[in-house]
Amino acid sequence: MKLKKVLALGMAAAMTLSVVGCGSDGAAEAPAADGAADTETEAPAADDTAEAEAPAADAEAGGVPTYSQITVGEDYTDLTASIKWIHHKTDREEDGTIANMIAEFNKVYPNITVETEGVTDYAEDSLLRLTTGDWGDIMFIPAVDKADLATYFQPIDTLDNLSKEINFADAWQFDGTCYGVPYMANAQGVLYNKAVFEAAGITELPKTPTEFLEDLQLIKDNTDAIPLYTNYAAGWTMGAWDAYVGCVSNGDDTYLNQKFAHTAEPFADPGDDTGAYNLYRILYDAVANGLTEEDYTTTDWEGCKAMLNNGEIGAMVLGSWAYAQMVEAGDHGDDVGYMPFPMTVGGTQYVLAGGDYNYAINVNASDENKTAAMVFIKWMTEDSNWCYNEGGYTVDIDGENPPMYAAFDGCTVLSDQPALPGEETLLNDINAESELSFNAGGDAKVQRIVEAAATGSETFDDIMADWTAAWNDAQASLGIEVNN
Amino acid sequence: MTAMTQGAKPAGRTFGEWIRSRDGQKVLVMIAFMVIPLGLLFTFTYLPFAEMFGFSFYDMKYIGARKFVGMKNYIKVFQRDDCFRALKLSFYYMGGSVVQLVLALYLATILSFKVKGGSIFKGFMFFPYLINGIAIGFIFKFFYTRGFVFDTVLQWCGFNLDHLPYWLRDQRINNISLVGTSVWRYFGQNMVLFIGAIMSVDSELYEAAMLDGANRFQQFKYIIMPSIKTIITLNVILSITGSLSAFEPPYVITDGANGTGTYFVVMNEIAHTQQKVGLASAMAIVLLLIIFAATILQKLFFKYVFKSADDEDLNATARRDKKLAKLAARKAGR
Repeated sequence: MKLKKVLALGMAAAMTLSVVGCGSDGAAEAPAADGAADTETEAPAADDTAEAEAPAADAEAGGVPTYSQITVGEDYTDLTASIKWIHHKTDREEDGTIANMIAEFNKVYPNITVETEGVTDYAEDSLLRLTTGDWGDIMFIPAVDKADLATYFQPIDTLDNLSKEINFADAWQFDGTCYGVPYMANAQGVLYNKAVFEAAGITELPKTPTEFLEDLQLIKDNTDAIPLYTNYAAGWTMGAWDAYVGCVSNGDDTYLNQKFAHTAEPFADPGDDTGAYNLYRILYDAVANGLTEEDYTTTDWEGCKAMLNNGEIGAMVLGSWAYAQMVEAGDHGDDVGYMPFPMTVGGTQYVLAGGDYNYAINVNASDENKTAAMVFIKWMTEDSNWCYNEGGYTVDIDGENPPMYAAFDGCTVLSDQPALPGEETLLNDINAESELSFNAGGDAKVQRIVEAAATGSETFDDIMADWTAAWNDAQASLGIEVNN
Repeated sequence: MTAMTQGAKPAGRTFGEWIRSRDGQKVLVMIAFMVIPLGLLFTFTYLPFAEMFGFSFYDMKYIGARKFVGMKNYIKVFQRDDCFRALKLSFYYMGGSVVQLVLALYLATILSFKVKGGSIFKGFMFFPYLINGIAIGFIFKFFYTRGFVFDTVLQWCGFNLDHLPYWLRDQRINNISLVGTSVWRYFGQNMVLFIGAIMSVDSELYEAAMLDGANRFQQFKYIIMPSIKTIITLNVILSITGSLSAFEPPYVITDGANGTGTYFVVMNEIAHTQQKVGLASAMAIVLLLIIFAATILQKLFFKYVFKSADDEDLNATARRDKKLAKLAARKAGR
């Protein structure tokens, strides 16, 4: 008797579960398909939202408006929802910046509750949480393949529409649909200490790798400062050198995402102080000539901020996001400067600017939460001033740039063009296959340059030849067409 | 056995009767107690392991599509030069574990005799084991930094800073520096295990040995060593397998760079940075097999080393028996 009851209960439970399973599957697919199959079940809900809050509700996207359809401060001000946002800015979570911004947000949208969670080691943890699906409504997009974007994230808008609203809209676009909005943007240059440069007798900022190396030598000769701090030990700080592989070193904004993977010899010396070859040559020569810190294996990332601030370091190659931290790290914030990368292509210095982490919305969230998340993201972009306060290059197309970019006047600012259709995953694939991982955590290969230069175990040309071989092998095994 | 099988299914008892009987209840209780631990073991150990074993046959990332590639990943593990070069670093850690065990055994022996302040020393030496491995990494990062703790201490001893090497930069010694941290961390734990084993030795044996005029070293060699051989074997096996999978010191202190990347660090890099999950899984399986092999070899080795004493005894008795037999034969012949 008992056994039968248990069996019956078990069956019932299994059936309910499978029904629930079907239901959620359907909901998940709804935004991706145009909702034809689900209209019957979803229709009442959509009607409700349409009547209650959405003046411009879009039936196609299942009641969730797109980015460009929202006017911040006017639409959805009475929307009630509770959303959760996971992010990597643990420092801003701790110092209350994020809580303050949410408080400001709630003045306009009092009924949207935003819960936040700062995740240390975000790049890895967020990927794991993404696969489990248990992460909330808004996250910063980690390193996923672009082909998988639609599986995880709600479309933000079409590329055409979004490009009219923000800069750098194309970072996470796939087939003309954007899935992310950058929270801030970075212009890639070089951090330096103005006082140290002055004391060394440098009157004009360097414009080529050779000039830069000469200036570093001047710093070594004329001051006590470390000319170039490698930040070798922290690892990821070495990966910062990869940021200049694209348009900075060749002036072509289509190079990184469209041509790099097809190039037969991307690390050959073009002979005119440009290209990836001369970019990494700066590091090799600086280390080989003793223009870096004495013991690179014990560099200290937290400590280097104050050292740059105090004039103990001449220069560091890092993105603009680091600028604010260096300024705050000591009493000489005015001395911290930011200059374009010292490389001139055909008479012009190019600056790469691009979005940082991108906000994205969980595709499996409820419609209310998706709408609230969309409103929150647009408010953060347009009204929070976060990007400006962090010293970021403006994301909002009407926003203004912080004064730190003064040295960038006269440079051409480019952002990398997206990959060609059908080749969106190509760079990821070749990066992983060759294990060079440009701009994707390939710190070890840059560390190798420092080791080789310090110990003399390999010449710079050996390393470049080795990279080329790895690149060519990857091209062959992935069947990538190679152009010369 | 026969009693149990008889009890399990006696003729004429229904299932209901059987389950209510003493035998039935016994089986029921056994199953009930086994289900939870076995379930946990299966879910959290064998199932993930089986998954990983499956991954090792695929070309895959954490997310996205997977492609079955058969044994390709395993072939790659043996073709790549970084995997087995990394495994060579394990010899540093094995050398370290020998130092560590000898040191631990030496200190354990001393401390197991009456020593002034013995408990305090034990406490101090065990203490590093209680610290988090990551914290130890950070401690030693500063410890080895040029002109910081270690160099300062050596300067007090009269060394000139210019003649001191860069502890983490110099590729000839940086692995030894790292092994040093691991010795520092684990020798206290080994020592405490040894002391525990030594305590269980009957103290009358020492007295008897002393009466016979045995000195401390002889006591150690003939009483302590044979009594604690099991725990020594265990510690050696654990240390050697541990040194094959060394991870924390190189990962935290040097990030695996500058020629300090052990097998685990390389595996972590391949799995998380390059996202070649299949290859990393294959590396894990290969390492598992290597560890199996190393453990079995050690088992055989110790069987040989420690059994020899007993074997000798057996031979001795055999010889004695033979002699006695001969004597008896001679007697009988007379």
